[in-house]
Amino acid sequence: MNQAEAILMGLRIWGSIGAVVAAIFLTIGMDRIDEDARGAYIFRPLLIPGILVIWPLVLWRWYLYESGRELWARRYDPPRRAHFAVGWILPIGICLIILTGLSLRQTWPAEIAPVQLSGPAEVSQ
Amino acid sequence: MSDKDRPFFVGYLPAPKALRGLLLAVCVLFISGLAGFGLALGIAQDDPGEGAFRFDYGRQTVTGVVELTPYPLLRVTEGNERIPAGHTLMLAGGGKTNVESRAIPLEGQLAQVSGVLLERGSLDMMQVRGGRNGLQAAEGEVPVFETIPLGRWKLAGEICDGKCLAGAMRPGRGLAHKACANLCLLGKVPPVFVSTQPVDGSEFLLITGPDGGHLPESAYHYVAQFVSLEGEVERRGDLLVLRLDPDTLEVLE
Amino acid sequence: MSVKYIPVQWNPNKYIYDAVMLLGVGLFLYVFLYASPGILSHERPINPQVHNARAFGACAFVMLTVILCIGPLARLDPRFLPLLYNRRHFGVMTVFVAITHAGYIVDWYFAFSSSNKYEALLFANTSYGQLAGFPFEVFGIFALFTLILLAATSHDFWMKFLSPPVWKRIHYLIYPAYLSVVAHVSFGILQDQQNHAFTMIFIGGAAAVGILQLIAALKERRADQELASEAVEWVPVCDVSEMKEGFAKIKLLANGERVAVYLNEGKLSAISNACAHQNGPLGEGQIIDCLVTCPWHGFQYDVTNGRSPAPFTEKIPTYNLKTEGTRVLVDPRANPPGTYVEPVPAGATS
Repeated sequence: MNQAEAILMGLRIWGSIGAVVAAIFLTIGMDRIDEDARGAYIFRPLLIPGILVIWPLVLWRWYLYESGRELWARRYDPPRRAHFAVGWILPIGICLIILTGLSLRQTWPAEIAPVQLSGPAEVSQ
Repeated sequence: MSDKDRPFFVGYLPAPKALRGLLLAVCVLFISGLAGFGLALGIAQDDPGEGAFRFDYGRQTVTGVVELTPYPLLRVTEGNERIPAGHTLMLAGGGKTNVESRAIPLEGQLAQVSGVLLERGSLDMMQVRGGRNGLQAAEGEVPVFETIPLGRWKLAGEICDGKCLAGAMRPGRGLAHKACANLCLLGKVPPVFVSTQPVDGSEFLLITGPDGGHLPESAYHYVAQFVSLEGEVERRGDLLVLRLDPDTLEVLE
Repeated sequence: MSVKYIPVQWNPNKYIYDAVMLLGVGLFLYVFLYASPGILSHERPINPQVHNARAFGACAFVMLTVILCIGPLARLDPRFLPLLYNRRHFGVMTVFVAITHAGYIVDWYFAFSSSNKYEALLFANTSYGQLAGFPFEVFGIFALFTLILLAATSHDFWMKFLSPPVWKRIHYLIYPAYLSVVAHVSFGILQDQQNHAFTMIFIGGAAAVGILQLIAALKERRADQELASEAVEWVPVCDVSEMKEGFAKIKLLANGERVAVYLNEGKLSAISNACAHQNGPLGEGQIIDCLVTCPWHGFQYDVTNGRSPAPFTEKIPTYNLKTEGTRVLVDPRANPPGTYVEPVPAGATS
């Protein structure tokens, strides 16, 4: 198996586990932890792609709710300071990336002429 | 923080009158802006070149002597109006595949080749039909073709996959196309070096590895970039073959 | 804010938003796909698959650029908040456009070989050790996966289930994704492109995002410095005379929490500044029909107990308040969500 196959196999395994988690969470787990979900079914298929991708986080959050370890205070503390980090990382990153890209650009070296380094007689093969 | 006169938008209520003008302007700007960008970006595309599959020529069938460089060539002995006798054709399979397994048993022998031509200026290549109909032994006397060594050359230009370059894809060269070109080369589609200026009358050279091998994978890192390189050039009919010395590959500034 | 989840909570504004968005996207694609080939005077046309891939790729870039301008625009000027309101539909649409771009690329450049096309995508170019000729496809793959993750977790259920701060942290991935898109373009098509109208539009779009984000961040930083307080007990908020009926004053506490102190019917009440839905800034909203209304999505709360009116069940923390003379002071220890706090009369100033 080459690396590319291994990566795709890894993704398939990840998604397969996610599918199992989705099946259990959407049929059993959700009703236990979210009263707004009880009796609401049409929206559930919309959640499947998300569960396939972040099923470990789904399991962790589910555990927090079941065990009562979900702390209310954490729900009201948005990471607003990150806006400031984004505010300077984004423009600097954009500048660096584009400038690097532009500096790599080549122009067709039309002026370089072929040069014969040695004649056929000197070719050993 | 708040201003009493500030219009306050609530999603599930009608938009405040004071905001409607601005929102309408944003909508108009957004729609016309996207249409404008669609047009500006659409017409900013570069000319992809004149290469093409010549399905309009119909299926071409010619006879010649099979040579391996190791990429298979046909030195045409019995041509047609499109492919004259004396021409040297590079041979490729369908898609990103080669015809080496079929060409190797026929090396040095007379064979009939059938397929569709790809053409870009003076560069051409044949995509050989599948199975025996595409490449089969032919009866007749095998003429002797010579290979004329032209010595060692230092050239500047770009390593491409010959098939996309010749017109299988438009555009078929450049860095955005590099992964595709590498995939062709992995499939042993004949690679072509585009020289900045003609070498002995030709700007396109079939490029191979040293000592009669395929283009080495170390050279794949240089595909689609403008490079300088050295190698032995030989003439096989109207086709030049460049035997790359991989140690001399250099990206041009 | 429904009692029961439904796939999409439509309302007239969302219909208008989506109609305008789809019209813009549709026009972009139509003009690129069908109007531009006639104007390009190429001897032989670009392959349709490549033309399609470029149309959808360019469209996804423009859409993402617009989306990333909406956030800072709304922070700089609240009049742009309506653009934020239904932004997730815009984001989900962008994902579909980006997937279409990827589909055309994979089915063209990476098809026709004897290998699986998705494997080929990963192994065809392995020049990871160099910048020129770098497999820029991986930047696109990262951005696409991120966009899919964000779209897949955009339903309100996810915000409640993950909690808004965790959800927001995941959705901050949009910024690395945008940088990745910029790299995807810079190390890909930008290397070949000879017509520089493309280069200018690309750089202009990316620069608009970068500059707007920077200006908004600087403005917010300045505002935060004015709001911040180091006090540990009974944090001074403002003078009663500065309060306006139906509006709030926000205070940034030493622990990083924000409190919104509202003046409602002449009485003061303090609630968390973070909405239970998406942690929107409640203190930047206003009171409508005796209910604090979030400026982002219109979630509403009773200012005295932080509870949404029935049948809704959202709750936010409340804070204790007192006045000393004309000074308003808030206890930085939050009460559990939904705790009733007797409003404090603002005195003669109201």
